[in-house]
Amino acid sequence: MAGKDLEVVAVAVTKKTHKNRELAQLLTAASCALISGLSQGVNAADSWDVDSAFLLYSESDGRVSAAEPVISATKNFDEETKLTFKIAADTLTGASPNGATASDHVQTFTSPSGKGSYNAAAGEQPLDDTFKDTRIALSTNWAAPINRDWAYGVGGYLSKEHDYQSLGLNGSLSRYLNQKNTTLTLGLNLSNDTVNPEGGVPTGLVQVPLSNSDSEFTQRSDSENKNLVDAVFGVTQVINRSTIMQFNYALSTSSGYLTDPYKILSVIDDNAGANFGGNFQSGGRDLYLYEKRPDSRLKQSIYWQTKHQFENDNILDVSYRYMFDDWGVNSHTIDAKYRFRFDNQYLEPQLRWYTQSKADFYHRYLNSSDYSSADFASADYRLGDLDTYTLGLKYGYKFADETEFYTRLSLYHQESSGDKGYGKLTTQELYPGLDAAMLIVGYKF
Amino acid sequence: MNLLEELPIDTSLNPSNHPNPSLWQVNENSYQVQFECMASDCSILIECKQIDLVKAAANSAVIEAWRIEHKFSRYQTDNTFAEIHSKTDIIQTLDDETTQLMIFADHAYHASQGLFDITSGILRRGWHFDGSNNLPETSTIKELLTNVGWAKLGWDPSNPNQLTLPKGMELDFGGIGKEYAVDKMLLVIRKILSQTTSAILVNCGGDLACSGKRLNGESWKVGIEAVNDQTKAKHIVALSSGALATSGDSRRFLLKDGIRYSHILNPITGWAITDAPRSVTVAAPTCINAGIISTLALLQGTEAENFLSSLNMPHWLSR
Repeated sequence: MAGKDLEVVAVAVTKKTHKNRELAQLLTAASCALISGLSQGVNAADSWDVDSAFLLYSESDGRVSAAEPVISATKNFDEETKLTFKIAADTLTGASPNGATASDHVQTFTSPSGKGSYNAAAGEQPLDDTFKDTRIALSTNWAAPINRDWAYGVGGYLSKEHDYQSLGLNGSLSRYLNQKNTTLTLGLNLSNDTVNPEGGVPTGLVQVPLSNSDSEFTQRSDSENKNLVDAVFGVTQVINRSTIMQFNYALSTSSGYLTDPYKILSVIDDNAGANFGGNFQSGGRDLYLYEKRPDSRLKQSIYWQTKHQFENDNILDVSYRYMFDDWGVNSHTIDAKYRFRFDNQYLEPQLRWYTQSKADFYHRYLNSSDYSSADFASADYRLGDLDTYTLGLKYGYKFADETEFYTRLSLYHQESSGDKGYGKLTTQELYPGLDAAMLIVGYKF
Repeated sequence: MNLLEELPIDTSLNPSNHPNPSLWQVNENSYQVQFECMASDCSILIECKQIDLVKAAANSAVIEAWRIEHKFSRYQTDNTFAEIHSKTDIIQTLDDETTQLMIFADHAYHASQGLFDITSGILRRGWHFDGSNNLPETSTIKELLTNVGWAKLGWDPSNPNQLTLPKGMELDFGGIGKEYAVDKMLLVIRKILSQTTSAILVNCGGDLACSGKRLNGESWKVGIEAVNDQTKAKHIVALSSGALATSGDSRRFLLKDGIRYSHILNPITGWAITDAPRSVTVAAPTCINAGIISTLALLQGTEAENFLSSLNMPHWLSR
């Protein structure tokens, strides 16, 4: 009997021990939940940070307008580990300069598909108004630490338009030094793009045919490829508690079909006579050639950025980029933003200046006497001497639940310059400017 | 230790009008911040090379501690505690932080089978722990007990931010407030120092939490107060991670007929626990965790040792 009782007591004690351990485990879990749960505020541990924005872009004279919804979602697993998805869709409509010069008579251009034509009135900049596209872009990125001193990131990118696809992969490796005050980053980005232009891939520096029944059209291939490899080496340095600085050196090579299949050049008559400086005639009509660019490009750039937070919490963000390439293009970009911070609002004016010198093969037009000897030529203003100015103002409001509304209005002004032509051409506006406005409205939650 | 400076804190963030914290240099790259909170002397030890960051972290931590102190204080008229108790017998919506504390209190109540109950604070009205032999009348306690009991609240864990507080009842977060503040301070400091190398120890009157080992790789050496001589440390505990909390009655008790009545009250009987240890110190991952276990251990009275041994948690106990 006595033995039996002892056994019962022993079982009871064991049960109690188990129960107490469960109790302790439960309380440990509840304690951790209380402390760490609150640290995240309303963003519970497994919630997503979502940034949704809508962008409206409009060029002066209604040339191009774009509407672009963007949604990006980031899941933060911890301070340094995160997964980001981004999706953007944009619709572009309007007209873009086709590269031909304005003329003293009405000009007729074959549409890119070769199925029709469009006109430019005398004295007007020729614009291709068949331009309309919808683009969808998806990207994802994963960033995580390897250990105390190293971190990595990998990502992928996919975008699709009806005549252009891009597929990219990227990776980066970061090394923290000096108690994380210095970060060295090596990044690599590979991308493969396919161009399948409307009407096929035209032959460079060949006369634009009248229609798609021309043999130039029937011999075209459907698509071309280009490959890009970008490598970036960066140093980020914490200068002091309120200043951080970054230096980057980037090397970018592209190879393959780098030409814009929709861009053409006018050939101007440089023979002395009545038509000096007018459109050169070939086959009884104005002569336009498809542009042609080299099949490789090597770009290098250096970049410097400094962010400084003032005593009153305002933030100054200044950056400078110098880029040069083997096409002869050099560019400088200076960007400055200053964020005025109020309790739960901020106001951020931005100034940006970009200046670029033209590519070696950029010509506003070609001359009748020597156009046939050109190896490469493009009249794309984006390869010419160019200055752009951006004036922006961003406003953000943070709600009590940490969500944020923001909006940004940017005004963009572009000026091109270059050779003024000769003869009749001198009366034409060869370098029309461009003004555009961009409005972004977004909500982060 | 050299006094470096006072850390001025805006009066709007110092609702209880404490003196400003003071910053002391212990060694090169080692600092101590001293301040008052919840009737305790508090200190924050930070080992870090960047004194600017140390100051910023200490500032934020002290503000956080004072915020918590004020928010749940029973002696204020313009705080969350007062607001909750001004709305009785109707449904009210609790803020996020209070909701989380309610969820924690619910877990603690159930895990302890009712021994830990934040509605039991009003029992103090019947007890005056002044070292004397004045025990309360049984009828007084009986009367008070009608307004004690977590289960009497209009509160449901499935809808944790909705509360109906019956008139006469009181929610006392004081029993977990100090430990909670210690954990939150550590969290705030860690966040600010996350980009740099640091070691942190937060201490509020013996309830403490650390960020890990010290920068030299050693543990923090923490002395646990001796029962009879408070100036002399009894145990030296090496703490390399987590937290410590101590519950005890070394200063607050009643003594009658040779029986020591601890200031820890049993919310079910309304009566003071007798034969409780003078002090119980427990180590746990968080300070609030250590605090709740040490309180539960005291509530076991004579069974405290057995209870603690059954938990597999490091503990130090003195009778």
